[in-house]
Amino acid sequence: MPCLVYYCCYFLKQNANQCYCNQRSSLCFHQCRVMASHKRILGVLRKRPARRNLFGPVDREQLQVEYQAAMRNDLEEASKRWGFDFSLDKPLESSDFQWEGVPSTRVPLLYRSCMQGLGQAEGHRSAETVTPKRGRVETAQSEKENIPGMPENCMHGREMLEKTPEKGENTGLKRKQTNITDFYQAKRRVVWMPRKSGE
Amino acid sequence: MELLCLEMDTIIRARPDPNLLCDDRVLQRLLTIEERFLPQYSYFKGVQKDIQPFMRRMVATWMLEVCEEQKCEEEVFPLAMNYLDRFLAVVPTKKCNLQLLGAVCMFLASKLKETRPLTAEKLCIYTDNSIRPQELLEWELVVLGKLKWNLAAVTPNDFIEHIVRRLPLPEDKLALIRKHVQTFIALCATDFRFAMYPPSMIATGSVGAAICGLQLDSADQSQWGDSLTDLLAKITNTEVDVLKECQEQIERVLVSSLREGRQQQQQQQQTQRGPSGKGLDELDQSSTPTDVRDVNL
Repeated sequence: MPCLVYYCCYFLKQNANQCYCNQRSSLCFHQCRVMASHKRILGVLRKRPARRNLFGPVDREQLQVEYQAAMRNDLEEASKRWGFDFSLDKPLESSDFQWEGVPSTRVPLLYRSCMQGLGQAEGHRSAETVTPKRGRVETAQSEKENIPGMPENCMHGREMLEKTPEKGENTGLKRKQTNITDFYQAKRRVVWMPRKSGE
Repeated sequence: MELLCLEMDTIIRARPDPNLLCDDRVLQRLLTIEERFLPQYSYFKGVQKDIQPFMRRMVATWMLEVCEEQKCEEEVFPLAMNYLDRFLAVVPTKKCNLQLLGAVCMFLASKLKETRPLTAEKLCIYTDNSIRPQELLEWELVVLGKLKWNLAAVTPNDFIEHIVRRLPLPEDKLALIRKHVQTFIALCATDFRFAMYPPSMIATGSVGAAICGLQLDSADQSQWGDSLTDLLAKITNTEVDVLKECQEQIERVLVSSLREGRQQQQQQQQTQRGPSGKGLDELDQSSTPTDVRDVNL
């Protein structure tokens, strides 16, 4: 454990140790920005794996209940703040904002709700997405797009967003901007460098 | 025709920007806003019923180990601890969810600071699969909500360059000093007593402790003398006495941490060697510093 030795020298005044200390340090601490070896001085010398469960099993049901409650609270707060009922996708009666509906065809695919994103139900649902007058679209979907475990059709819709459109595909869904990769094949040449462990 | 991407598989860093580091306004602005990101309460005295200070230390130590093993950027760990403290200051949390919270905080801090962030799967593995990626993602939203999405918190690391470049330090020692300061900052983040201190004070105290510990202040007494603390205090507008106390506290924590580390090592060696390895005790105790006054202040 050279680094440990080094850090103990830290507190000794003898010149010999000081020299040793300086030499060692240039070896030990060549990296400045990336974490290296703090733990040697942080009382975690035991060679235990970092992979461990600290406090026993998690109460999954309780966790789920708390998660749902927290999400409900957040949604309520957001509803109050924006004067918009995100669960019903409608503006509230009393609102500081004036909300205005915009046809979903006029907003980017990302902001359309799942069904419309799939292109199946543009007729079924009112083809409107509500936006506040000042521009940015606030729909239930955009609010929740990071929530995992969305219904399957939503995930499907998202996959479609990332797919490069092919010739002859449903024109209603075709995205307006083309990528250079639509025309040329991209090839990635990776120059070998050490990566983070486990990657 | 083919497109060839010559992207290197390394992280490319911006150089230190003198426009940011040499301008006093940046430091003053950091000092003005840092208080906004402090936890509001000493939460063990009120909000938290189930968790104890030693549990915070357990989870902090684990987070530090994960960050080190994954070679995270230096700021990730202190930033994750800032999220953890701010969350615990407002939400009563059960012991069994503390590790989940720690993982979520690392997840967020890593996403904010790193070009190649930690993945949810990896973090779950580090909890020995006691949590699932989906739970991590769900609680990410909960934590974000409680932090009001204010993630760009000021950390002690933000002050290191501003402080160091205002001190007359030998050029060849700068890298070493930085490294030591970062170690002290990480050490402070594991200890709850520092959780309510402003980041600038932790940074200043850590710089002071590093310079004293490396005995750079003794090399040229005329230059430093007693004035190191004064100079440091002036840079971050901290009171001299408070700063001195902070620096001493950092040194005490370091000493006890060293001692604890040694003891654990001894125990480990003893269990490895069985009852015959007794001689180690005396050897180790003689080389372990027992008094902070060994530090040349």
